[in-house]
Amino acid sequence: MMKAAALLLAGSMALAACASDEKSGGTASESSASGGGKDLKIGLAYDTGGRGDRSFNDSAYAGVEAAIKEHGGKLSELSPNADASNRADLLTQLADQGYNPIIAVGFAYGQDVVTVAKQYPDVDFAIVDSSAEGQGADNLTGLLFAENEGSFLAGVAAALKTETNHIGFVGGVDTELIHKFEAGYVAGATAVKPDITVDRQYISPEGDFSGFNDPAKGKIVAQGMFDAGADIVYHAAGGSGLGVFQAAAAAGKRAIGVDSDQYQTVDDPALQAVIMTSMLKRVDNAVQAYIDSFVDGSVKGGSDVINDLSTDGVGLATSGGFIDDIKSDIDEYKQKIVDGEITVPTEPTK
Amino acid sequence: MLGRASRGRTGRGRSTLAETGAIGAGANPGETAAYAVELKGITKRFPGVVANRDIELRVRRGEVHAIVGENGAGKSTLMKTLYGMHRPDEGTISLDGREVHFRSPADAIAAGIGMVHQHFMLADNFTVLENIVLGSEPTRGGRLDRSEGRRRILEISDRYALGLEPDVLVEDLGVGDRQRVEIAKVLYRGATTLILDEPTAVLVPQEVDELFGNLAELKREGLTVIFISHKLDEVRKVADAITVIRRGTTVGEADPKTTTVRELAEMMVGSELPSPETRTSTVRDTVVLEVRDLTVTALGGRAAVDDVSLVVREGEVVGIAGVEGNGQAELVDAIMGLRPLTSGSIRLGDEDITSWNTRTRREAGLGFIPEDRHRQGMLLDATLWENRILGHQTRPPAAKGWFIDRKAARADTERVMKEYDVRAPGPDTLAVALSGGNQQKLIVGREMSSSPRLLIAAHPTRGVDVGAQAAIWGLLKDARAEGMGILLISADLDELIGLSDTLQVMLRGRLVATLDPTNLTPEELGGHMTGARTSAGAA
Amino acid sequence: MNALRRLGPALFAPVLAVVVAVVISSVVMAALHVNPLRVFEVMFDFGDTPSQQVTALVVIVNRAIPLFLAGLAVAVAFRMGLFNIGVEGQYRLATIMAAAAGAAVSLPAPLHVVLIVVVAMLVGALWAGIVAVLKVTRGVSEVISSIMLNFVALGLASYFLTGPFRGTAAGTQIVSTKEVPESGWVPSLNGILGALGLANPPRQLYGFLVIALVAGVGVAILLNRTRFGFDLRASGLSASAAVASGVDARGMVVKTMLLSGGIAGLIGLPDLLGSTHAYTTNFTAGLGFLGIAVSLLGRNRPGGIALAALLFAFLDRSLVPLQIADFPASVVTIFQGTIVLAVVIANEVARRVTRRAAERGTAEATEAGPTPGPGLTPPPGGSTDARQEVQA
Repeated sequence: MMKAAALLLAGSMALAACASDEKSGGTASESSASGGGKDLKIGLAYDTGGRGDRSFNDSAYAGVEAAIKEHGGKLSELSPNADASNRADLLTQLADQGYNPIIAVGFAYGQDVVTVAKQYPDVDFAIVDSSAEGQGADNLTGLLFAENEGSFLAGVAAALKTETNHIGFVGGVDTELIHKFEAGYVAGATAVKPDITVDRQYISPEGDFSGFNDPAKGKIVAQGMFDAGADIVYHAAGGSGLGVFQAAAAAGKRAIGVDSDQYQTVDDPALQAVIMTSMLKRVDNAVQAYIDSFVDGSVKGGSDVINDLSTDGVGLATSGGFIDDIKSDIDEYKQKIVDGEITVPTEPTK
Repeated sequence: MLGRASRGRTGRGRSTLAETGAIGAGANPGETAAYAVELKGITKRFPGVVANRDIELRVRRGEVHAIVGENGAGKSTLMKTLYGMHRPDEGTISLDGREVHFRSPADAIAAGIGMVHQHFMLADNFTVLENIVLGSEPTRGGRLDRSEGRRRILEISDRYALGLEPDVLVEDLGVGDRQRVEIAKVLYRGATTLILDEPTAVLVPQEVDELFGNLAELKREGLTVIFISHKLDEVRKVADAITVIRRGTTVGEADPKTTTVRELAEMMVGSELPSPETRTSTVRDTVVLEVRDLTVTALGGRAAVDDVSLVVREGEVVGIAGVEGNGQAELVDAIMGLRPLTSGSIRLGDEDITSWNTRTRREAGLGFIPEDRHRQGMLLDATLWENRILGHQTRPPAAKGWFIDRKAARADTERVMKEYDVRAPGPDTLAVALSGGNQQKLIVGREMSSSPRLLIAAHPTRGVDVGAQAAIWGLLKDARAEGMGILLISADLDELIGLSDTLQVMLRGRLVATLDPTNLTPEELGGHMTGARTSAGAA
Repeated sequence: MNALRRLGPALFAPVLAVVVAVVISSVVMAALHVNPLRVFEVMFDFGDTPSQQVTALVVIVNRAIPLFLAGLAVAVAFRMGLFNIGVEGQYRLATIMAAAAGAAVSLPAPLHVVLIVVVAMLVGALWAGIVAVLKVTRGVSEVISSIMLNFVALGLASYFLTGPFRGTAAGTQIVSTKEVPESGWVPSLNGILGALGLANPPRQLYGFLVIALVAGVGVAILLNRTRFGFDLRASGLSASAAVASGVDARGMVVKTMLLSGGIAGLIGLPDLLGSTHAYTTNFTAGLGFLGIAVSLLGRNRPGGIALAALLFAFLDRSLVPLQIADFPASVVTIFQGTIVLAVVIANEVARRVTRRAAERGTAEATEAGPTPGPGLTPPPGGSTDARQEVQA
């Protein structure tokens, strides 16, 4: 009896371990649009989550799609295995199969992509969210984003919209990258209302990535902020963000999404209603621009491309029309940042 | 005499069969000549082996019909056939003259056959009521109708004098009560023919009597009981007719009123029987085991063993008599080092072993035939050679330094199997595949093989057939003659009286009487065991 | 014949499991409008050039090594009836400690590796030891405590990584410990591949393979040939019978958990000493849980576990070619999951079959033994010989 239970438990745990959260695999898209680069073979290696995450990976895919539409060519997209131990393999296999350029989505590829790029000097690599500078691979381009600038605008919007003078920020994992979101958000909010209260909390500590994929915890954290009086919570917590939206819906408050236009990606109308705006990280634009430059031969390896407000690499989503009334204020701040009048910090003040 | 009886019955059975054959499933169910259960020419083969061969069994309605035979003689296979757990390869089953074909136990149950298994199949944390209705619950509006269930159970209980209390948890019941719940379960499903598989194996004498009382009630109400056993005196007491099975086939019927136990046993075994009697004393002066002021506290703080002192000498068998649950198991555990002592000391020969662990005790010369061989004596899913070295894994022939000497262990297992008549294909057979008697012979053989100074034999012949029982008795006698001290715990009073040089009676954790078995009758011993007699009156 | 008989039951369950899994997965694939035959073809396609084929093999073996060790760690505990779910935490903590220790010292090559291995095993053993001590002193179920300690271990590992053992500057996204100097690396076995006449692939075949094999053989000998192993298996088969045979139950729990944890400590080392040379935030996680599945599939026998690990590694590798061939990666996930489920069923079926086979075998022997020949068998239904005996 006991043993049978143990076996079942083992089975279910192993199943859980096996079941990666990829929602759908890669279906190749071979669109032979106009463009000249018929032999363009683009390799796309996703972060954990794979395509269908309605965020990062999907955004990268959209960028490639757009590029293929313009230049023609073929895409092969790969997701890592359950424990993401085969990242290097994904890149190697793509290179072996003649894919060029190869785009790795997510900073988790940071080390592997450098190693593989050095092994295949004739192939161009790009990595989203990780720097290529000083890595010694001159066929590698880093696609970086000024998340702090986008988050600044999110902070502005939140500060303008709050009725309680109290807002919140939920970070997925306590890392440098997410600190940028927090720093910009807080800076934006205090730029509008210096006396505003901003609750800030991270779901998991550095080194533990569960905070990006734990909606239950995201919900608890956000709920705590709403209970404490916040009426708008911004999340930079990947999959955990769903929990933040649920908490907002339950509390009758609002939330700000991240990375993609989450108003569009959340199916539930009840959740849609609470997503005031989203801080867009235009991975699609960045990827498309990278492929464009690859096609016209202007890729400059060994360096980073920084996508910020000036290139519309980051920005705010307007779906749902919740922030249409404050559009002019937001644009004003945006202009100030682009002009260099405001410098947005990357590290939050404590 | 017996021959005549059985021949007469067989003859009549055959002739009536011919007559009722025409009527068959006819419209006359009241026809008394039809047997309640009739098996003709049942043969059941398993690949490579015939488990049952040409079985003939005729059971009249309203009788208690015993099926006796050694373990492994094919009783269980036969009962499984009758209960629809498998289909016979040849032969027919008829109930009340009507031929039936069971595809599953459900068919058998529907035909009014119920089985009370030897090992109870009850859920401990359910009440009696829940256990009985489980699987055929009376419902009202989709919910368990407890009152209807209770009504029917009480009705059954009253009718057959089962004395059931529907709302008691099964875990609070004694063995005898549990058995009655099992019987009630079968009756609840409308059984008119009950198969009881070794029902007395788990009962103490008083409970056996109660069971027989219940069987009489069942009989009076017109139910038919098929009673499987190898305890011949019980069978003679309770059965109206006996069918003997040997080596897979029926060897005849016997009339319990006119057949002696000895005759029955010889039919079962097919040869002359030994007895446990050992009369020449071989007791020497050297003390091998001395237990002094031993107290063991049970879970609730009660003293399970209360200030027990006893001595076993070389060549002496000291028997511990007692109704089960009076501290014998705890005493054995304490001597083996399996249970902590509250106070007292244990000496093996010259050494104080009180603080030693079980392994050291075994290495120092304690042999152990445990009461429950499946729990403490065997690894059922391991091979015979692994079971041979269990408990001896630190000594030759099992061990060579830190390693197990598999070759020597296998070779020695072959020796044990030969010398102690363990019937199995070889040392790599799984222990689970052996019959109870063969398992027990392996245990006895392995314990004897290390020539212990003291052997603790707890119920050494429990659940084994007559042949194995005789063999084990012989081994114990031989060991005693060679100077082994033996502490014998048993519920079999004949065994105790026959084998022991000294008898101690244990009651509520204490040794209450020391008896000389020479002129002791089982009845007297039974009186001591229940506390009816005092030590003053007997010793 | 005898060998076949003994091996038969051992092979029966895993083969049945794989067959069932293949069938079920094929049905699922068919339902998803994926051609199963094509899928299996892609899975077995190791590439065209010798270099690609050897690479595929190296990828599989490299992946199999930690899976094998994880399965081994789980199996050791399983064989005595303990369910060590804590392998996950044990290896994560052991790996970061070993990485830190390896980076902190500088020793001649073999000693350096030995030190790292010893540290890893000690930490793993210690962490598992807590579970054992809780069990024998407080009766805490090892399942509960090891799950809980997993969380603690992961938290501790994060703390050490981002705190005292941090080797990367602030601002980097992947935090890692300081790199272990080259003397602490385990050299690759690519030289041996060359000696075997195989192409030298771009990937390094982990030298840790040797250590894993030694561990596997060691465990096999320990379990099957030693007194300790006998005590351990006896405890697993029947705790009460083992105790009655003189096994110290508590001591056995502690020793077994220490052993299991010690092996668990090795799980992260193939990657650590063979490729990453540092513990990082994205160091491979989840191997401890996969180990449970591997151990089950291998029926807790080292040989079986090796095969199971290779199978899992093979499935894992096929993820990439499948995706390149435009098949959903979930196919493999379904396959893996089905195998685990099938194993649970197949093991039970195999157990019953073995038992029944054994019972038949015995019945045969008993029957063939002292039974009188057919001529002496009493006539059916007749009681003549019984009568004669009784009357005699």
